[in-house]
Amino acid sequence: MSAAAERVVQTKEKKPFYFLKWAKSRKGQQTIIIVAFMFIPLLLLFTFTYFPFGEMFKFSFYKMKYIGPRKFVGLENYIQVFKRDDCFGALKLSLYYIGGAMVQLAIALYLATILSFKVKGGSIFKGFMFFPYLISGIAIGFIFKFFYTRGFVFDTVLQWCGFELENLPYWLKDQSINNISLVATSVWRYFGQNMVLFIGAIMSVDAELYEAAELDGANRFQQFRYIILPSIKTIVTLNVILSITGSLSAFEPPYVITSGANGTGTYFVIMNEIAHVSQKVGLASAMAIVLLVIIFIATILQKLFFKYAMRDAEDENTVAGLRREKKLERYRNRRRKGRVTG
Amino acid sequence: MKLKKVLALSMAAVLTLSMAACGSGSGESAAVNTNEEVTEEAPAETTEETGEDAAAEDTASAGELSYTNIVLGESYKDITTTIKWLTHRTDLIDSGMIDSYIAKFNETYPDITVEVEGVTNYADDALLRLTAGNWGDIIMIPAVDKNLLSEYFVPYGSLDDVSEVVRFADQWMYDNTVYGIASTGNAQGIVYNKAVFEQAGITAIPKTPEEFIAALQAVKDNTDAIPLYTNYAAGWTMGAWDAYINGSATGSSKYMNQELIHTQDPFQNYGDDTHAYAVYKILYDATANGLIEDDYTTTDWEGCKGMINNGEIGCMVLGSWAYSQMVDAGEHGDDIGYMSFPITVGGKQYASAGPDYNYGINVNASDDNKAAAMVFVKWMTEESGFAYNEGGVPISMDGEYPALYSAFDGIEFIADEPAVAGEEDILNELNAESELNINSGGDSKIQAIIEHAANGDMTFDEIMAQWNEAWTSAQETVGVEVTN
Repeated sequence: MSAAAERVVQTKEKKPFYFLKWAKSRKGQQTIIIVAFMFIPLLLLFTFTYFPFGEMFKFSFYKMKYIGPRKFVGLENYIQVFKRDDCFGALKLSLYYIGGAMVQLAIALYLATILSFKVKGGSIFKGFMFFPYLISGIAIGFIFKFFYTRGFVFDTVLQWCGFELENLPYWLKDQSINNISLVATSVWRYFGQNMVLFIGAIMSVDAELYEAAELDGANRFQQFRYIILPSIKTIVTLNVILSITGSLSAFEPPYVITSGANGTGTYFVIMNEIAHVSQKVGLASAMAIVLLVIIFIATILQKLFFKYAMRDAEDENTVAGLRREKKLERYRNRRRKGRVTG
Repeated sequence: MKLKKVLALSMAAVLTLSMAACGSGSGESAAVNTNEEVTEEAPAETTEETGEDAAAEDTASAGELSYTNIVLGESYKDITTTIKWLTHRTDLIDSGMIDSYIAKFNETYPDITVEVEGVTNYADDALLRLTAGNWGDIIMIPAVDKNLLSEYFVPYGSLDDVSEVVRFADQWMYDNTVYGIASTGNAQGIVYNKAVFEQAGITAIPKTPEEFIAALQAVKDNTDAIPLYTNYAAGWTMGAWDAYINGSATGSSKYMNQELIHTQDPFQNYGDDTHAYAVYKILYDATANGLIEDDYTTTDWEGCKGMINNGEIGCMVLGSWAYSQMVDAGEHGDDIGYMSFPITVGGKQYASAGPDYNYGINVNASDDNKAAAMVFVKWMTEESGFAYNEGGVPISMDGEYPALYSAFDGIEFIADEPAVAGEEDILNELNAESELNINSGGDSKIQAIIEHAANGDMTFDEIMAQWNEAWTSAQETVGVEVTN
């Protein structure tokens, strides 16, 4: 057998390779098309993502400005990042944004649940709530700059509600609340998008389950707790991870609304200032790499957390699923029987 | 199915086309460059270009391109070309002023077409464009290190020659060669509303920090106007405070570029209401005494122009370039006045003056374009009336001062002298290292003064001590000798 195989290999090797013939063959055509189609996206990906990232990684070991000579300093920039209190101090602000992200997800989940049932004017509500996501972040920044200005939109609305202007805080000036004001703009912007994602997931839940649950006497909350939430677990996890990594790299609201002044400078804003005003490009690149590592760690931790926290739910879920299946079967049988008898 | 195929095909077409466009774009420009080099540059010249001491040779040999040799209306009349100008004055492009300047220029030089590109976020973007190299022929020189000037820009001539006909010629000078001609000059003072000050009962222009704070208090007590509008939210308007710590606060033309870098603790209290300490203390005291706008975080730069025009604002600390904008912003332009900064040094008042952005000419442009660009720069400086129209200090030596400087009688204009040879880049390095960024975008440090003053969580002396510390450690890192 081995000899035969060898002979086959040998003849194959000896056979001259005709490129044109190969290119005309089905297999050749396939390969060419695959390579041709892969080439452009891969090239774009490389030139605009991996290559610049590699350059940035290199920069992080240099003391350099945008132009002019560069000096290799080894890990000095990384040491600086950990030594300076403004770099990691800025990460504390991320807690505001993480808190905001949780609120945002809760609102989105709540509204998605309501809107996935039949609600009068549901589409209009969905549209209105999704709309902020379509506006550019810069425009939103300018909207809220005026929104929060003393005696402008927000204060006026609150005055209609019976508040006195003297008792209202300065939304952007008061350092105890200005970060909350900024986070609120980001919640306003993104909850609609989360909601739409949730609605999409909820839609995929088998509608018969609700009917069954209703027959079994489950109320809306129990339906949510035992049917909807387990079914859309994946998308909830995904949204939590995206929101938290997004919170760590919050940039637009503080940059546009307060330009990072008055205690609102997040990690990204500080990084931008160091890179573009002080032109410490190496240090800023090191900050970016450190943030990337932090985001990696945060994501892995969350993955592990959900794996651990959801394992019970999953076990329960499979049992519950089985139970549901049985229930459904019984229900169908009953209906069938009912029809037969009735 | 058919639709899908069409879609896929068109996608592929778009992708390949865009790729091709990128490719051919760069290819074309490269081709043009080589063409020009071949046809228009004599081989001897190319070698000269690449030589290290090209600049010196250029100025030595007669008939070479130099600012002083150009006679407007006579030199280079035979050139037909198109030059591109990268400018920060997007407002003048929008108002059509730039077009009218160019139209006038074309009356003398009909064969030179000038294209203009306005850049809004100029300070950052121009630097990137400069590095990338595709910026055209004339650029308003952004913050580059001076030892790199010859890599990017055509020399205008030696300092001795150019400074005879042009003010502020030493702004972008390296090795005694001038690489930039200022577009206009600014003097540093305070733009104020004369009617508001009159209503507040202020008869004499304040000359010291105490008098100034007292005047602001009077405005607060006697009128409805905001005494001092900080423009905190815009950011760069805060950075503008740095422009007063040199001439205005010290009376020395050497302070900014020669003395500051060697000074031990430049932000200390000198005890006589001078130097940087006194400048920033005015801001701190005004904020602490409630003499600025109520909610500083939501100030509006465009809106403030109309407000000061209507008498809702007492004064703003801005360079003279702001004067004409405030006058034009409403019906009460006559009320706007300009006064010097309230610091008196040894019984005399001074005002820092300095150039605005400078014109730089691309060293990699073709010879025709270089000549055309320099002709245009000279025309803008001498014939256009640009500086005068902008309310600026004239750049051409025989230019006329605009009327707003009438209040500066008896006040000496101080233009910063350039750094000593070999120390040109130290200020930049110290600025970056200390992150104080004096006169180069250090807005956040001045915003912080207002924050600390309003919240009362840091005294002024503590802030200044912090700055001194940053400055000292930067001096150590950069290795600057500290003399006094």
